[in-house]
Amino acid sequence: MEKTLYDSSPYAVEMEHVSKIYKLKKKDGDSKSSESFYALKDITLKIAKGDVVGILGTNGSGKSTLSVILAGISDIDSGQLAIHGEQELISINTGLNNQLTGLENIHLKGALMGFKPKKIREIIDGVVEFAELGDFLYQPVKKYSSGMKSRLGFSISLALDPDIFIIDEALSVGDKGFAKKCLNRMKKLRDEKDKTILFISHSLPQVREFCKTGLWIEGGHLMETGPIRDVCDHYSDYVDKLNALPDKEKKKNLDEKFKERLIVTEKKSFWIKIFG
Amino acid sequence: MFTSLKYVFGENIHNLYRIYSIAKYELLADMRDSKFGLFWNFASPAIQVLTYWLIFGIAWNRKPIGNINYLPWLVVGYAAWWFIQPCIQSGCSAIFSKTSVITKMKFPVSILPATICAKEFFNHLCMLLIAFVTIMICGFFPNLYWLGLIYYALCAFAFVESVSLILSVLTMLWRDVRKLVTSLMRMLMYFSPVIWECQFPDTFPLHGFLNVCMKLNPVYYIITGYRDSIFYSRPFWQHPALTLYFWCCVALLFIVGCALMYKFKRKFIDMI
Repeated sequence: MEKTLYDSSPYAVEMEHVSKIYKLKKKDGDSKSSESFYALKDITLKIAKGDVVGILGTNGSGKSTLSVILAGISDIDSGQLAIHGEQELISINTGLNNQLTGLENIHLKGALMGFKPKKIREIIDGVVEFAELGDFLYQPVKKYSSGMKSRLGFSISLALDPDIFIIDEALSVGDKGFAKKCLNRMKKLRDEKDKTILFISHSLPQVREFCKTGLWIEGGHLMETGPIRDVCDHYSDYVDKLNALPDKEKKKNLDEKFKERLIVTEKKSFWIKIFG
Repeated sequence: MFTSLKYVFGENIHNLYRIYSIAKYELLADMRDSKFGLFWNFASPAIQVLTYWLIFGIAWNRKPIGNINYLPWLVVGYAAWWFIQPCIQSGCSAIFSKTSVITKMKFPVSILPATICAKEFFNHLCMLLIAFVTIMICGFFPNLYWLGLIYYALCAFAFVESVSLILSVLTMLWRDVRKLVTSLMRMLMYFSPVIWECQFPDTFPLHGFLNVCMKLNPVYYIITGYRDSIFYSRPFWQHPALTLYFWCCVALLFIVGCALMYKFKRKFIDMI
């Protein structure tokens, strides 16, 4: 994967025929061959710098896989991927330790994200204010309500300053007030700092309000890209249609989609895995 | 080969603060978990040593080794072992136990074995403190040769770091490694000079060959080194052959570990 800090390319992300394959366990315990599964199949797309992209799709369609690939956490199996700029996946509850207090967790998660001690001291005030923790700062996180914990995690993540933000279901936590606050903060990033933001959410109103471009993945395929309004309309039509189907057909539909993504291959042995 | 070495080494050096913080807060979280916290970091090794001393020293009436009483001899050896054993054992799950982090954020995976070693190093220092108190009660007082401990602690760190690099990756490929290692560790303890000196008497058949075999175990070098520094006032350059052999071993293990880590660095997420 290519990665450069400064790049004159107008695109933040370029993908060409990218596929991602997951291995599946077989039901009958046949060890010679195994089934694999296309999490993403032949995706070609370009995301311009400074664009705000809403990624839509039903459950299991490959949105999260796309997010980990774009974040550089997972490798692709075929195709080409170029990311121009530094990217970060915003993860909320990752790295928080229930035994430690809020303040200690800020230090811990800050260090996990790669901040230097000086930077961590600088962000503490901002985080406490944004997360609205108050005196809970000195309480262990296990005493927090789940919303409060997510607020803490999200606020620490906001201290990151990458060129490309990848947000996976992050704003669906906390109460409406906090979601609003987060959205405003993200809008500020979008408008003032001109960051590229990839936004994965099931909340269509949020996506419509926040994003410029829509990107719809279904069953590992790229269905549509375009202005957010059109993509959202088509997507919600599709979901409505799917929900209106009788249960039997819904299942048939799912099975078909699953079969399409399946591949059967020879299984590699342990030693080939190491030396191959 | 060099790219992988450079990659792992570079990542560890750049992330020293990350390693330190993860180790520190994991220790803290462990302590918060129990009521007495830090007390157990001292108590559990002390109880272990006491058990071995009662069984082998008192019940089986071990004679002094060389001219050192069994208790001080055992305490120093066990202090070294108390670093090596937990490091290797939890080193196996170094990556696996952090799956929630490596799947959710961009994270330098190769520093995880080092975090485990750093965390256990703290426990090692606690145990060393117990050892110092015990041997001072037994009448040994610090001298310049004790500084050799710093060198041998470094040796131990290099060794466990290399081993956990390998084992942590293998555990991801093949989860059984962890169970295998847990069982083998008990065996390794008896093949290392922790509770006996690993020297066969002259009356034993093939004693020369067996004694050399015992020395091939890198742990032998570390544990005897700890004792040499404290009791026998022998610096490490008095064993040039064994020193060379030990560092060759560590270098080989480290190279293999780095190569594995480099090869699989982006694949871990798919192996969970």
